[in-house]
Amino acid sequence: MITISALKKDKDVKGILLKASKNGQQALSEYESKLVIAAAGVPITQEVLVSSRQEAMDQAAVIGFPVVLKGSSHALTHKTEMGMVFVNLKSREEAAQAYDELMGKGIDLDGVLIQKMVKGNREFVIGLTRDPQFGPCVMFGIGGIFTEAMKDVSFRVAPLTEEDAQEMISEIKAVKLLDAFRGEGAVNREVLVKALVGIGNLGMACDEIAEIDINPLIVMEGLPVAVDALVILKAQQA
Amino acid sequence: MEKFFDPKSIVVIGASNAPFNLGATICNMLKDYLQYAGDVYALNLKGESVNGYPGYSSILELPETPDLAVIIVAARNVPGIIKDCAVKGIKRVIIESAGFSEGGEDGKAMQREIDDIARVNGIRIMGPNCLGTLSTRKKFCCFYGVNPSLVEMSQIFEVPGNISYIIQSGGVAVLVMESLYYDVVGVNKVVSIGNKCDVDEADLIDYFQNDETEVIGIYLENVANGRKLMDAAKISRKPILIYKVGKTPEGAMAAMSHTAGMANNDSIFDSACKQAGIIRLQSIDELHCLPKMFTEMPLLKGKRIAMFTNSGAFGSIAADLLVEAGLQMVHLSSQTQEKLKKAGKAFNIKNPVDIGPAPPQTYLDIFEILLAADEVDGLLPLLSVWQPFVIDTLLELMKICKRYDKPAAIYTANAIAKSIAIRAKHRIPIFETSEQAVRALSVSHAYYESLRKRNFISAPASSVASGHESNISAWAEAAS
Repeated sequence: MITISALKKDKDVKGILLKASKNGQQALSEYESKLVIAAAGVPITQEVLVSSRQEAMDQAAVIGFPVVLKGSSHALTHKTEMGMVFVNLKSREEAAQAYDELMGKGIDLDGVLIQKMVKGNREFVIGLTRDPQFGPCVMFGIGGIFTEAMKDVSFRVAPLTEEDAQEMISEIKAVKLLDAFRGEGAVNREVLVKALVGIGNLGMACDEIAEIDINPLIVMEGLPVAVDALVILKAQQA
Repeated sequence: MEKFFDPKSIVVIGASNAPFNLGATICNMLKDYLQYAGDVYALNLKGESVNGYPGYSSILELPETPDLAVIIVAARNVPGIIKDCAVKGIKRVIIESAGFSEGGEDGKAMQREIDDIARVNGIRIMGPNCLGTLSTRKKFCCFYGVNPSLVEMSQIFEVPGNISYIIQSGGVAVLVMESLYYDVVGVNKVVSIGNKCDVDEADLIDYFQNDETEVIGIYLENVANGRKLMDAAKISRKPILIYKVGKTPEGAMAAMSHTAGMANNDSIFDSACKQAGIIRLQSIDELHCLPKMFTEMPLLKGKRIAMFTNSGAFGSIAADLLVEAGLQMVHLSSQTQEKLKKAGKAFNIKNPVDIGPAPPQTYLDIFEILLAADEVDGLLPLLSVWQPFVIDTLLELMKICKRYDKPAAIYTANAIAKSIAIRAKHRIPIFETSEQAVRALSVSHAYYESLRKRNFISAPASSVASGHESNISAWAEAAS
């Protein structure tokens, strides 16, 4: 996984947010969202944004199969429902076909995102919201498609100490999922704590960010990796 | 802030001789009942005196600038009165009248007008829509409509205590005070903050750091500034207990993300309490039944509890409650069990320790053995017995607790009426149910943990298992 060490953190985050707000975007694209959360310390999928069929095939091969292809646009907040996600692509040909299908949907895209396919049985969620009385708050819990049905989540008011982050992790009902589970190792809590603290700090530092969903955060070989992310911006004054 | 609770002079704006006048009830209480020593002025349209207190028809005519103005007139007249207060140089105002931000657009407009005048002139305001302040030590109270013949109210002033309450609703303030009449610890100060347009719970938490207050009890209906509350609580050296009503799903409105959709005001308030070291109460009763655990007993520094009962059934009930509360039934060491065996009369020398009929000295021996044991952090005595000597035995138990710096949450099953009758007189913190006793241990430990997390006391050598090894002198310092 790359943690985008090349990104000049704060400056680049501000740059992405500034550009998005100039464009009048309500949200960042998945690609931009991931750059922002990676800068805050959340491990993200290895991914690259491409704009041609040839590039899609080449980059898929560089990343290594299987890969995932997703249509990328700040206006796309429900990609799966709109058929903009193709998973488990095992060859250059499959990648090329997926690229054609994505481009053929008639939706305005800023490119196609090619990602390493992350596999793991455990899916978590990290989020940021702004409470009218308490300001930025970080959420942690069970992620994936059952997130809202289970509502097994905990909150902390930002900024978080590492102890706050440890406590909020231990607070969810399914805390046992953090331990060794069905042949997979225990989740790297240190990484998780850093991610939670980082998202809290991001909320404190960037007033432009209204909400964040990092879901799913899949655990692969013990390491939590953000597979999808959505950064929502504050509504701008007309 | 002090002069809100101890003014040397006060004007009651709206006190008159009209029937059912609420301002007059404040004058009557100050004069006939509290024999308040300061100057009191009554302000009404006719300028008539009220119960012997001189009357005026304008604030500007008052012979001095009072420390405090209490306003209890129709809301529409309040902005004009605040203007007069500003001209007269009055710096503290309690607006007891209702009908402002809770009363529609007109009310909100009046509130903004008041805020502006107050800000420009440096006036601090309590309320509106509140009862104001009460101080048992200074024998001052500006609550309206309180009937001085209430015996319970008189008790409150006769035996000043160390709990201070910040209560948003006036009705709840009186309820809590009445309940305390039967309980161990008395009231220091009470303040009803109403709509809290200016002075809020955070200001008062700050203020209560430097007076006789030992425990701060708060009843909240809304939090206006969550960050301010957290900041005040984080530096508080006194336990803060909050009961909050109003679980609103505010966050769910207009949320685009799943996170905001799942966030609700209540779960975030809950987290804020944990982070700031605030103890969140589960019922309004806890506002008066839990403070005695803090004022009368050392803090619980670990989770391992020894139970001591003369009825096995109560032992089983409480064991379930302990585990549910996140505490542990301690496994008594073989040395401790040996000592218990020697003390005699024990049916069971494992936790819960269970004994048959025995003289008081046997009880004391067992209390001592359990509290002296390194593996025990606190005691839960469940005593289903009542004899006159029980009082002395429990007083002795309290001394043993202090000696070992470990708490006991006393519950006298089957003798509750008798216990309640004597506990205030003898200052014995007896809880009325096993749930209350277990909860008292649990909040005591939660507060200890919050002190540790906030670095007010040094951390124990290792985590849960060695709470008793913590630095006792550092803790005493923090508590002083």
